[in-house]
Amino acid sequence: MTKAERRELQERQRAAKATGKTAAPPPPVNAKPGASRPSQPPTPASPAPKRGSQARGTAPAGATTGKGAKDAKSVAEDAVVRSRGLRIFSHFALQRTVAHAKGDVHPAIVHLGLMFAEFKVSGANARCIATLSVFKQVIQDYTTPTHNTLTRHLNTHLSVQISHLVSARPMAVTMGSAIRQLKLEISGSDIDLPEQDAKDALCHKIDNYIRDRIIIADQVIQETATKKIHDGDVILTYARSSVVENVLLEAWEEGTRFSVYVVDSRPMLEGKRLLSVLVAASIPCTYLLLPALGSVITEISTVFVGAHSIHSNGAVYSRAGTALVAMMAKQHSVPVVVCCETYKFSEGVQLDSFTKNELAPNGDLFSSFPLTRPRGSLTLQNQTNLEILNPLYDLTPPSSITAVVTEVGVIPPDSISSIPLALGRQV
Amino acid sequence: MAPESHSSGSQRAVETLAAKLRRRQVLGSRETALETVLVLRQVVSKARFTNIHQLVEIIRGVGRKLVEAQPKEHTVGNTVRKLLHHVREEYNNASKGTAASAANVFSISKFVLQGQPRKQVTAQKAESALVLREDDPDDPDSFARTLKPVLMEAIQVILDELETVYENISKSAKDHIHSDEIILTIGKSHTVETFLKSAAHYHNFTVIVAESGPSYGGHDMAQSLSSAGVSTFLVPDSSIYALMSRVNKVIIGAHAVLANGGMYAITGSLLAATAARAHSTPVVVCAGQFKLTPLWNLYHEYGALDFADPSSVLGFEEGDLVDKVDVVNPFYDYVRPDLVDVYITNDGDHPPPSIYRIIKESYDDEDNEL
Repeated sequence: MTKAERRELQERQRAAKATGKTAAPPPPVNAKPGASRPSQPPTPASPAPKRGSQARGTAPAGATTGKGAKDAKSVAEDAVVRSRGLRIFSHFALQRTVAHAKGDVHPAIVHLGLMFAEFKVSGANARCIATLSVFKQVIQDYTTPTHNTLTRHLNTHLSVQISHLVSARPMAVTMGSAIRQLKLEISGSDIDLPEQDAKDALCHKIDNYIRDRIIIADQVIQETATKKIHDGDVILTYARSSVVENVLLEAWEEGTRFSVYVVDSRPMLEGKRLLSVLVAASIPCTYLLLPALGSVITEISTVFVGAHSIHSNGAVYSRAGTALVAMMAKQHSVPVVVCCETYKFSEGVQLDSFTKNELAPNGDLFSSFPLTRPRGSLTLQNQTNLEILNPLYDLTPPSSITAVVTEVGVIPPDSISSIPLALGRQV
Repeated sequence: MAPESHSSGSQRAVETLAAKLRRRQVLGSRETALETVLVLRQVVSKARFTNIHQLVEIIRGVGRKLVEAQPKEHTVGNTVRKLLHHVREEYNNASKGTAASAANVFSISKFVLQGQPRKQVTAQKAESALVLREDDPDDPDSFARTLKPVLMEAIQVILDELETVYENISKSAKDHIHSDEIILTIGKSHTVETFLKSAAHYHNFTVIVAESGPSYGGHDMAQSLSSAGVSTFLVPDSSIYALMSRVNKVIIGAHAVLANGGMYAITGSLLAATAARAHSTPVVVCAGQFKLTPLWNLYHEYGALDFADPSSVLGFEEGDLVDKVDVVNPFYDYVRPDLVDVYITNDGDHPPPSIYRIIKESYDDEDNEL
């Protein structure tokens, strides 16, 4: 049997398998069958042996038995490998379809959910502020049912809203810690307070949280970080972080003269937006895609990046590509400074980018390709044997981070674990 | 007879190729090498010379012209060097074969004098029937007439090598990849593509293709691999680090392999190789021998100072940004020898530190500068 014949045979079997699949009920692992990869759901155990026998049956009589057996084996292996490839990435499955509002979901939450799902609101800070502001509205529109108290019932009401938001896009760590704080406030609020007063008090608490933990924190970080930028520096930043953007703008306003390299990459290409902001402030900018990083890294004096969250071992969970930038910078002895508010600290430890991640939607959602090639040739779709993965985050190990700028000061990544305690977190 | 008239046809061929190179109409190192050989064949077949020096000078002249047209396409120079090496070898075969073959005794002094481990076989196989008469005043063409057939054979050998280079590299593919591995590659390389496809006949493995912006050659690569039945994942360059912890091997192609064991490769290769090093993942480079370049002290920064079109990074649809921003879009990365574990060539596998030896064997020192 020639290679071509063998290949043809495999293709035929694959086709047979695919048709068998569509008839079969959707596998339990992938909750949304129509989601992103209809062609290859995780293989149930049954087809492999069946296909093995099929292969032996269809093998031409002239073929030696050894070849035939090998062929059958390889086909069976094929199925195993494919399903394994899926299994590796299956847990950060993409939740595309925004679930229909289940239960008593506030219209503002539905709206926000759509914004999240379409990445109209993205970025840890922006999502957290948006969520809290909408929650204020939800709380104001809330009336305690009879035979219940606000302290007890509001939390369950909020949980419904939260699960709707999570169905739109996995929750950001920032949202998590803000919501935890809010729930704590709700259950701690005075049971005898008139309802309107209690709601006002909660809204006030939310405003305070946004002000203290995000806005003021950012201002302090900006003040600290701008001191690290000097005249003649060449600053490199990756993607777009609201904090880094403000740091650069403020340093420029203060009269420091430096230039900025904006590194960017698919799938989001957020750096372009940062670039337009910086250019509008007439900061001299250079724009490059991530692969070209190796060529420019030698000219950089400091790397500034933002973070989605930071783990207690000092690992920074941030936009995919940050780890590459930090790694290259570290190799060339360029300091890597992470700007991160303390409310982004997350208590767990994550060892690699696999345990938790999120996928960006397929296709050219962000209109990110320059129009030098026909778009059709660049936006591939999933097909047999081909899957498109766009992880949104990666984990930068603490070893490639020089310092973390927080509102409580500049600290080395190893000391992250002491900060929540120092801030007075109740154990 | 006018001394230059003979070359008008081949002259035109040289000019055409030089123009094509200058305009980057010939892309891909093997394509360039093939075109160069074809032009050289034309040149040699039309050339008139009465001694070896004239012949060498003619070939060199053509080589210089082509290399100047596109100095970053190293395979052009390599092909010319290879041909010169073959020319000298054939000449030595023919001329020294008639002379006594007592030179085959190994002595350390000769080794030192020679300065390079040139293959010692020259004298033995020369049962040559050729009788070379250089600078024969009676019959000036006799030298060329006797040498040309062997030269044509030599050129054919180079041509054959180029035509089978992918197959020969892929021969060992099944030994380098085993079942259930996860391979990461970046961009599109014909060599790697053939290599992976040939390994796919024996094993089932998964390939993760990084798309390598701004050319996004990875899309074509992923398309081609998946249609050949290889389980393929296409990922953006940004997730190389994130995925590296699950990758068993990084297999990439090269643009040119340098004498120090480093290489030029498509931009992004440096990132992939460094990330692989950070995770102790082996880096395998597939490259034909025609990519071996006897240079090393080149412009390493800025990816060999060769830039592609910036509009593919920041398109003109970005209106007001375009004229205020510098855009960097290099073609190649320089990957240091310590980041590469092995070079798989059509002549076996070699670790980076032994590249210089192969280069010494396949080219003559005096041709390093054409």
